[in-house]
Amino acid sequence: MLDIQKYLRLEMFPHMLCPGCGHGIVLGALLRAIHSLKLSQDEVVVVSGIGCSSRLSGYVDFDTLHTTHGRPLAFATGIKMARPELTVIVITGDGDGLSIGGNHLIHAARRNVGLTCLLLNNEIYGMTGGQAAPTTPLGKISTTGPTGPFETPFDSCRLVEAAGASFVARGITYEPATLEKLIVAAIQNPGFSFLEIISDCPEFFGRFNRMGNPADQILAQKQNVVDAKTAATLPPERLKGKMLTGILHHEPRPEYAASYQESIAQMGAQAR
Amino acid sequence: MEKMTKPVQLLQGNAACARAAIAAGCRFYGGYPISPSSEIAETMAKLLPRVGGKFIQMEDEIASLAAVIGASLAGMKAMTATSGPGFSLMQEHIGFACYTEVPCVVVDVMRGGPSTGLPTSPSQADVMQARWGTHGDHPAIALCASSPGEVYELTVRAFNLAERLRTPVILLLDEVVAHMYEKVDLGRLAGLPVEDRRKPKGAPGKLEAYAAGEDGVPAMAPFGEGYRYHVTGLAHDSRGYPTQDPAVVETTQRRLQRKVDRCRKEIVSYELLQCEDAEVIVFAYGIVAAAARQAVRQARQRGIRAGLFRAITLWPFPGEELAAAVKQAKRIVVAEMNLGQMTGEVERAVGKKKTVKTCLKANGEAITPDEIFSALQAEDACHA
Amino acid sequence: MESPATQNVLIVGVGGQGVLLASDILGTVCLGRGYQVKKSEVHGMAKRGGVVYSHVRYGTQVLSPTIEPGTSDVLLAFEPAEALRWSKYVKPTGTVIVNTQKRIPPAACQDRRPDALTRYPRGIEQALRSQIEDVRRFDAETLAFELGDLRMCNTVLLGALSRVCEFSAEEWLAAIEKSVKPRTAELNRRAFLAGRSVEFPCAEEPQAEELVFEKREAARDEAPFIEIRQNWCKGCEICVRVCPQNCLVMNGSKLAEVAKAETCIRCMLCEWLCPDLAVSVH
Ligand code: SF4
Ligand code: SF4
Ligand code: SF4
Repeated sequence: MLDIQKYLRLEMFPHMLCPGCGHGIVLGALLRAIHSLKLSQDEVVVVSGIGCSSRLSGYVDFDTLHTTHGRPLAFATGIKMARPELTVIVITGDGDGLSIGGNHLIHAARRNVGLTCLLLNNEIYGMTGGQAAPTTPLGKISTTGPTGPFETPFDSCRLVEAAGASFVARGITYEPATLEKLIVAAIQNPGFSFLEIISDCPEFFGRFNRMGNPADQILAQKQNVVDAKTAATLPPERLKGKMLTGILHHEPRPEYAASYQESIAQMGAQAR
Repeated sequence: MEKMTKPVQLLQGNAACARAAIAAGCRFYGGYPISPSSEIAETMAKLLPRVGGKFIQMEDEIASLAAVIGASLAGMKAMTATSGPGFSLMQEHIGFACYTEVPCVVVDVMRGGPSTGLPTSPSQADVMQARWGTHGDHPAIALCASSPGEVYELTVRAFNLAERLRTPVILLLDEVVAHMYEKVDLGRLAGLPVEDRRKPKGAPGKLEAYAAGEDGVPAMAPFGEGYRYHVTGLAHDSRGYPTQDPAVVETTQRRLQRKVDRCRKEIVSYELLQCEDAEVIVFAYGIVAAAARQAVRQARQRGIRAGLFRAITLWPFPGEELAAAVKQAKRIVVAEMNLGQMTGEVERAVGKKKTVKTCLKANGEAITPDEIFSALQAEDACHA
Repeated sequence: MESPATQNVLIVGVGGQGVLLASDILGTVCLGRGYQVKKSEVHGMAKRGGVVYSHVRYGTQVLSPTIEPGTSDVLLAFEPAEALRWSKYVKPTGTVIVNTQKRIPPAACQDRRPDALTRYPRGIEQALRSQIEDVRRFDAETLAFELGDLRMCNTVLLGALSRVCEFSAEEWLAAIEKSVKPRTAELNRRAFLAGRSVEFPCAEEPQAEELVFEKREAARDEAPFIEIRQNWCKGCEICVRVCPQNCLVMNGSKLAEVAKAETCIRCMLCEWLCPDLAVSVH
């Protein structure tokens, strides 16, 4: 059996996330995925932004970069360009990746840089105390939307697919085994892979919206999602208000950093 | 390629910057187009792949510097170039690079501001931004060139300082210097020393990534080589792990400042012109110094004992050096293309006993030798 | 008054097995007879996660929608462990029909690790037989597979169910035709008839069964060891709530603790869903 501790910076534990915070579950799935891909710890780089989810980078024993708010994909792009052979994984949150970092997200997708972006969506700003996020569903309570927002939340997967990502998927923390598989598939795709993971913030979202304790909250996740394959067989009315999970889009195309590297090689050949 | 090696060339300031960067070992450029800096990006886009380097046009300036820092962490010497508005956007990441101690070079070709301002007109309005643009206490190194040949030299130096001290170095140009063509002797410049960052000694393994020796500069391991360390913009301890322990935070803050301070003598450079006997000395930098040189010549012809202190390093400010140079002088004229950003620094350096006058302009036009000359003569300041 | 002849059929399984469709079909058959039918079902969100069940009650007059423990006439279980769990709902004189193909519940870990299987609950058959007279076990999944589509498993099971209900094969087939896609109607018909023709006790592959038991014996020596790093646990209760075997409890200091490791089936849920990476199942 996998000893997950091998991948942890044990001196940093217990981690700083709240009891029941879904992000820790993602961390476990990520490490199992890396393990099953047999990646060496030396060839993995984990880059994150700012927010609760982005704190995960500090707990794993790889080269890790905890960047500024919203910008991890841009930092990661530089790393991937410089060392295309590295597996670069970006952990971002819904505020980090979709609000302040939205521009970087669509451009990383468009370029198809070989990054695996895990966007941990808990539909709220956790680190700063429960403000509305671009993913907060209509009618859900936050400190800056005390009566629920009037804004329509993003469907990040559709956004990123439209922007050109070659792999788009959505998972939930309640299905850790499936999640692990999705992460494996995402890392295996050579181009830009985007995986939105529905996670829970019991501390704020759960509390404000009376979702019970962390266990209640995670057990309730299933209600809001339908597997994409199943969805294809269901009438539209059964899909109302549901999010699709599973691999939503997979269309490999040339990866940016590798293409650039290739063009350099060709240039060298011409010069000779 | 042969173009690059022809010894004496007519080079534009921006092109000289790109050439020098490559000569200094820069292998990554991340940038976003903005006048009047775009030729640097264009030249890099063409030249970098030929030497196995990487160029990427990012979605904005924030991303540009982020990518530069990422590439630098992955082991490449890296740079970006921009102008005022883009420089503003880069400020957060300049602070990040300071705190995480990631070497990089940021070229700011200054233009008239604030805001979109005067995109194709010269200015020196970013000198304070170069010092205090990012939040928090941090060391700053900024160099300012006044000719294409010097752009070349200072670009190499910027990289050397960045790599040696593990800190971002800012190279300030202005629209005139950037777009000016001048004969540059690449043969001579090719001999400039190039410094590389110090890697940790010994085999990869557990690394105390931010443990520094006497010089205050930790050795830097590239990502992907087995050191597996953490880099964060949060206050961190010597392992790189976040901390809020006041003692630890204070230690790091002081070390960052100290590592630059202790090399101050090597960082600070300036040029003196006829200061020994001067009663009035012009303080100028960048393209304004070229006009000041003429003004001083003009003044000397008329029997006025004038001199010039040309600052090449703006940060750390060459205050002691200026104070020494103006010892015998009565008056100092600060000439700059802004509303007096450096004047306060000069006043502080020279002390209350000297009269400090100004010759300022912030309208997109260059300051002329005549304007400086009249300021030299006049007892009162010239607000051209 | 509820008519005394009301029949109770409990259909159970895990997510994705077609429990709900099967209960829909049964409902349709009953309606065809002019009976009253009440159904109540839960899918994919129960405490254990992924467990799907459907209570079907039919007769001339049906009031309560749910079946009381000890009163079900038939338990149709798509999965052996589910059969065991719901067995207390069945009358001692009732019938249990079990598909012998195991699924480690719950759906939350649809793809199970191979070594998790070795810790599947033991002695299901004996336990069922000790409680209920008529236990009909057969491998419906393999039958369905042989027919050409694993998904026909639920229809095969309906075929077996039809043998203990009062409705004729024609009534069933009419209902099936109404409920499934026309494309699959013929296949469903064959699946139903195949299930209906199974005789019990069926000559099932005893070796295979023994083999499984052997494997389990081997695994029994190394009892699962569930390690909870108490200094990492933050007491969120997730592991306790998701454990299908109730192996874990919250202790007095509101931290998770192992209560009975011996029933652990190594589903790994506690380890995988602990947000603090505090649990290891060895
Ligand atoms: S605030 Fe919310 S998202 Fe942040 S650690 Fe706590 S539970 Fe997790
Ligand atoms: S203790 Fe853990 S592995 Fe064992 S049955 Fe319970 S949840 Fe599954
Ligand atoms: S899931 Fe983890 S943190 Fe939560 S109670 Fe169980 S062991 Fe403790």
